[in-house]
Amino acid sequence: MPEILLNGRPVQARGDQTVLQVALENGVFVPYFCWHPQLSVVGNCRMCLVEVEGRGLDIACNMPVSAGMKVLTDSDDVKAHRKAILQFITLNHPVDCGICDKAGECTLQDYHYAYNGEKSLSVDDKVRSTKFYNLSNRILLDNERCILCLRCTRFTHEVSKSMALGVERRGDVSNIRPVEDRPLGEDPYSDNIIDLCPVGALLSRQFLHKSRVWYLTPTPSVCPGCERGCTIRIWHRKPEWFVKSLDPRQNTAIARITPLENPAVNGPWICNKGRDLARIFERVRAEAPMLKGRPVPLAEALDAARRLIGAARHPVALVSSWGSNEELEAFKRYLGEVFRGHVKRDWLPEEGERIEDDLLIRPDKNPNTARARELFDEGEPAYHDGTDLVLVWGEGYDFARIPPQARVIFLNAYLQPENGHAEVFLPISIQTERAGHYTNFQGTVSAFEPCFPKAAAVTDAETLFRALAAPARGHP
Amino acid sequence: MPGRQLIMSFPVTATSHSLDEYRARGGYGALEKALRTMTPAEVTKEVTASGLQGRGGAAFEVGRKWQVVVYDDGQPHYLIANADEGEPGTFKDRWILENNPHVLLESMLISSYALGVRNCFVYIRGEFDLPYRRLAGAVEEAYAAGYFGERILGTDFCCDIVVYRGAGAYVAGEASGLIASLEGKKGYPRNRPPRLTVKGLYQRPTVVNNVESLSNVAWIIAHGAAAFKEIGTPKSPGTRLFSVSGHVNRPGVYEVELGYPWMKFLEEDCGGVRDGRAIKCVVPGGVSSKVLTGAEIRDLPLSHEALWDAGSTLGSGGMIVIAEGTCMVTLSQILMRFYHHESCGQCTPCRHGMGWLHRIMDRIVAGQGRPEDIERLYYISKFNDGTTICGLGDAAGYAISGILDKFRGEFEYYIEHKRSRFQGNLECPRSS
Repeated sequence: MPEILLNGRPVQARGDQTVLQVALENGVFVPYFCWHPQLSVVGNCRMCLVEVEGRGLDIACNMPVSAGMKVLTDSDDVKAHRKAILQFITLNHPVDCGICDKAGECTLQDYHYAYNGEKSLSVDDKVRSTKFYNLSNRILLDNERCILCLRCTRFTHEVSKSMALGVERRGDVSNIRPVEDRPLGEDPYSDNIIDLCPVGALLSRQFLHKSRVWYLTPTPSVCPGCERGCTIRIWHRKPEWFVKSLDPRQNTAIARITPLENPAVNGPWICNKGRDLARIFERVRAEAPMLKGRPVPLAEALDAARRLIGAARHPVALVSSWGSNEELEAFKRYLGEVFRGHVKRDWLPEEGERIEDDLLIRPDKNPNTARARELFDEGEPAYHDGTDLVLVWGEGYDFARIPPQARVIFLNAYLQPENGHAEVFLPISIQTERAGHYTNFQGTVSAFEPCFPKAAAVTDAETLFRALAAPARGHP
Repeated sequence: MPGRQLIMSFPVTATSHSLDEYRARGGYGALEKALRTMTPAEVTKEVTASGLQGRGGAAFEVGRKWQVVVYDDGQPHYLIANADEGEPGTFKDRWILENNPHVLLESMLISSYALGVRNCFVYIRGEFDLPYRRLAGAVEEAYAAGYFGERILGTDFCCDIVVYRGAGAYVAGEASGLIASLEGKKGYPRNRPPRLTVKGLYQRPTVVNNVESLSNVAWIIAHGAAAFKEIGTPKSPGTRLFSVSGHVNRPGVYEVELGYPWMKFLEEDCGGVRDGRAIKCVVPGGVSSKVLTGAEIRDLPLSHEALWDAGSTLGSGGMIVIAEGTCMVTLSQILMRFYHHESCGQCTPCRHGMGWLHRIMDRIVAGQGRPEDIERLYYISKFNDGTTICGLGDAAGYAISGILDKFRGEFEYYIEHKRSRFQGNLECPRSS
């Protein structure tokens, strides 16, 4: 363990570390643009210049530690050079923060205030370049804002391996460009480059000019897109910034989804499906309990369901693999003795969706199959002539498979044709409306928290299971 | 004749570059000597003892570079001859490639033997046409004569050579940029560490030497390090090829024994300055070296140490003589245009600094200069010095700050009067 002097303070380092890593680990912040813990070192932004006594300035991200080296991260020389590097970086940068989606979470903006704070020394015209360059149907590129840190190209080469991006031309007219025949649109991880971009050069089309980021707040959650269970942040409007005059649905809409870094599961990445969860969660909701398609109050629907359960002799249940650990356990606790539960895959891979790869994407497209399989039986229930009641929890089950003599209790969150075919239909809440946990395929449990209030007239499945169990305990 | 000659020691004729004539001059004798009588370690020792310095610009000792490579570390090693001669004013390697390609090949074979190299490369700049054809012809001749391939000269030594043509980037002449380009990537220089002699081409130990540096190896092995050290000065042994251009009567490539008096060389060998004018300044070794005025060079010998003491360097040997009456502002504009065009755009200070320098120079030449522009030029060169991955940013800074240090008045005149003191003149009439 070599010991180095960091601003005069002795700190322990591992031999394979760089000065930048040691500094960050020991609470000494050294600014950087191009360095990223998950990507190779290119050392091209030159922002992390530090001084080594006796050796002058060099970049910390590529400097191996050696015993006894004296590193200064805040000397006058370092400060002067940082300031100059920011002058160079902003020389051709449009500084159009007022219309840039990145403003508020932009590294360049932060560093400018922290380390430069002066206007440009240049009086000459800036180099113009392409704006709104179409990288894919998800991402736009503003080359004028780009600082060529090459995080995006390295991501496509080293992490997603789509090799979709490269640099065209040289000097101050260098541009990030897609590589021929390797469309970025086919990279299922492409949107990570938007988060990686330290400036506002890579723009999400979904989020383009949708909101200033300081109007939003993130809620930690778990992506239900597959059994990997990546941790995510669901960004939505802060209550103090709720709009009143415009469409108030904005207040309860998902603004964007970003990864929540989690070394145990997904590292700093998520796939594009995880960014598109609004497509799943913001479908039209089922909001009324129904008896054979006729809207009724909840109490009436519950009574009917209890009667069915009480009368059933061979009831089976299809348990949702989108249920949280708490809900699955509640089902087991309250209804496990009545129903024989079978794990149901609510979602199957969609057409064109990547089934599996060696980065994150897993073949089972449900978040909690692992826990469901621990509690319930695998496979289709063995229906027979005596099967008289089927409880279906969650979507994605073909009712044609249910024997015609069986009555159906259906719990679903979305407006779907099957809702009206069930004997009893009960609307339930969705993930963004409640707290809970999912267990991923590796057995790692991750928590999600509610982002929005529950839609009117829907109930958490957990509450319903308790209510449904009531007659089974002595009230026939 | 400016001293003794090692590489240009024969009259150039239509066939003097051929294998037959090279052998008639004693060629490939050094290879025989090395393979039959010396161990690889002895060859390295001899080259180290000769004190041969790199001829590409930095004048780093060749032997010291070689010593980093561990002969039997079990990895493949590579040797690359850097023939991407792109420094403005430099065209000396071109002479070797055109007129004496076999001395390079023989030297590369000896060097490969010393370094444990199975495959060596020549990275030749894409614009070179005749040099490429001559070199490719020489490689064919050498293969046919059994100097390359398996079991060379009946020994266990095997070596193959690849001649690779560059695609026209100045930074690909920087050793790590060259390697990136040779690997088929964009010619981006690499950060050190690791050094190229530790992880170079294909992440293996690689020695990159300039064509002229390598071409001395055959002579050193043939005649011994002691004989080499007798030539030149104690700190700068050997000779250097200078490509002289600019306002002299006889421009061209000259082999000069190091330590030879500079003015004597210019007056006697190069025929003096055109039109009988005085020397305003000289770019000693490619435009990336700082200019020296006529007065500064008067008593200087041509040796590395003398130039370092004078605050400049012999660099790549591209000597540009500039006569009185030349506009240094216009000259600077042209230089900055070059660096702007050639910046690879990888790291921040150079990517933006080169364009900034160029735009300021353009504006001054267009008569729209501002008094603070001079400070700005200094600012850009200061913060490019030592902050970039490769030396291009530094070099542009040296070039502009070197000219500014010595001819600041001309810039101030141009900015104040919105015109050149010398009518923007870059030409000088030939002496009649």
